[in-house]
Amino acid sequence: MNSFTLAEVYTKYLFFTGKGGVGKTSTAASIAVNLAETGRKVLIVSTDPASNLQDVFETTLSNDVGPVPSVPNLFAANLDPEEAARKYKERVIGPYRSMLPQSAVDTMEEQMSGACTVEVAAFDEFTQLLTDEEKTREFDHVIFDTAPTGHTLRLLQLPQAWSTFLDENVHGASCLGPVSGLTSKREQYKKAVAALADVQQTQLFLVARPDISSIREAVRAGNELASLEITNQHFIINGVFQRQSEDQAAKVFEAKQQKAFAQLPAETKLSSIPLMPFNLTGIEALRRFLENNHHEELQQTVYPGLEKELPGLDTVVEDLLQRQSGVFMTMGKGGVGKTTMAASVAASLARHGKKVHLTTTDPAAHVADALGDHLPETLTVSRIDPKKEVEAYKQYVLEKAGESLEAEELAFMEEDLDSPCTEEIAVFQAFAKVVEEAEGSYVVIDTAPTGHTLLLLDAAQSYHKEVQRATGEITSAVEKLLPRLRDPGHTLIALVTLPEATPVYEASRLQDDLRRAEIAPAWWLINQSFAASGTKDPLLLKRAEAENRWIHKVSQGEDKLAAKTALIPWEYEESKASQGLALVEK
Amino acid sequence: MKTHIEIFDPALCCSTGVCGPDVDPALTRMAKLHTDLQKQGYEVSRYNLAQEPQPFVENKLVNDLLHAEGPEALPAVLVDGELKKHGEYPTLSELAAWLNVAEEKLKPVQPKKQINLL
Repeated sequence: MNSFTLAEVYTKYLFFTGKGGVGKTSTAASIAVNLAETGRKVLIVSTDPASNLQDVFETTLSNDVGPVPSVPNLFAANLDPEEAARKYKERVIGPYRSMLPQSAVDTMEEQMSGACTVEVAAFDEFTQLLTDEEKTREFDHVIFDTAPTGHTLRLLQLPQAWSTFLDENVHGASCLGPVSGLTSKREQYKKAVAALADVQQTQLFLVARPDISSIREAVRAGNELASLEITNQHFIINGVFQRQSEDQAAKVFEAKQQKAFAQLPAETKLSSIPLMPFNLTGIEALRRFLENNHHEELQQTVYPGLEKELPGLDTVVEDLLQRQSGVFMTMGKGGVGKTTMAASVAASLARHGKKVHLTTTDPAAHVADALGDHLPETLTVSRIDPKKEVEAYKQYVLEKAGESLEAEELAFMEEDLDSPCTEEIAVFQAFAKVVEEAEGSYVVIDTAPTGHTLLLLDAAQSYHKEVQRATGEITSAVEKLLPRLRDPGHTLIALVTLPEATPVYEASRLQDDLRRAEIAPAWWLINQSFAASGTKDPLLLKRAEAENRWIHKVSQGEDKLAAKTALIPWEYEESKASQGLALVEK
Repeated sequence: MKTHIEIFDPALCCSTGVCGPDVDPALTRMAKLHTDLQKQGYEVSRYNLAQEPQPFVENKLVNDLLHAEGPEALPAVLVDGELKKHGEYPTLSELAAWLNVAEEKLKPVQPKKQINLL
């Protein structure tokens, strides 16, 4: 596999996609810095709702294009879709504040607080920049560091979905209502779609880590985008390990990597970026990211290791065993091991003779993979599949409405059910049902990646308000959900993260958001720690050293991030069946 | 002069109400009725507070109603500028009476095709 070089960049627009934690932002930012250093004028734009571009550059960015300090020719903008949604809402509602009673304005605001509005606002910002020739003309390259895969896909899928929607939606009212005036933007959206699919203008970089699930996910995303005619794709495998010792962990790591590469389709444009001995924050690290020679180490502050002091996953299980039932949820960015953590905890509870139901909402999760074939008898497993949930929800709505409505009225309703909101609602309904079933037993839920999770909870909250306003019947599962999630005696939330900059910042933001929803995570699980794995490989030891800074940030001092922290070693057991269980059975 | 019916909806995500946490059949029925009436050439307008707040400001009756009773007073129905009903959607017979036609005439035409549910 060839190392990535700047020669591979030849279009004006560069898009980076990949599951959270794969180093998408670091890669995009590093390419931006290095392109700018060759004298080209570069703009890097983040459209991630939980953007970490600021962390990577160690500077504050705004949604206006501005220069990046200390890198000539490099400009950046941070498009926060939530902020954009707020601004949009204010633009629509603002003029009416004085003219309508407060209570009426509140109901307007409520309707515009849904997941749709944020999505729409994000997309709007993104297309504005993509199609604004005035703004982008002066740049040689415009780099979009897009959101985690699911979100990115939706973002990229939207133009087509919406163009179709606008064509077919005859009655002119839909969940796209929040963006009234959408039709006038049609040209802009069309242009954005055309630019994305234009191989002369746009390259799509699919970033993955050298592990099987990450590569599979990237391949899947690539195929999905290819079906949307975004075909100019290039895979970047980030963090490829070059073994320098006979250490057992290092050998297994290398072998695992080779196995993962076999997942890549044969005819793929492909480059690698080697595993760095340092963390990628700050301009200097970004400059050196694309170098292959890292013998000359960057100065790093050394933090003492904590692997002997922090408890493991078994302590988390003990915490759960002290209560007789309840909900355990793992949350975090994709790729941090939420599924493995949830499955391990569920299996361990079941082995203690507890009745456990394990559910995943992560579209890319393979719970069965993490558990293996031999499930304890008291453990049941289910999956919330967004596609299936949407279908089930449609069926339910149409059947229910069918009692009182005529065929043509049903057809009419079906049109609204085809709107982008439906998936959010459907998944949420399924989620609520699972939580309700926690009554009397344990329910372990492995949620979807950050952005999606946030939207779910956001939805949960506005639903809660809407429940009080109660139009139509409300299922008791939905009604009870938020209070259940907020009750620490009922729900134990564990934030899963990795001992690296981005995942820690991400988890911290997720925690802030949960707290805004009055939900307090009980545990932080720092997963895949090389420090705790006992490796002796020189490069992996460097990684272990670099980890400590983040382990400290999470677990030590007065401003520590976590209430309680568990450290989980990087697991080099190949057996998938025992992998999850081994973590708690030690 | 042609009768003009105006319906002032509460803040809705979508006109059929399927975007809410659950479905309100009254909303769906209203949405369908609205389309049917329009197809038959009747003048029926519908405004959603969340999407088109302007008419709620411009129409004095509706604005006064909102200030007096709050958003719970919606939906409000105006016939030729006269407030006829509020807090509830109009029934088929009410609409027929206001439009001065037989109820049967407003009944939806039979579906042309069998719909594919999913």
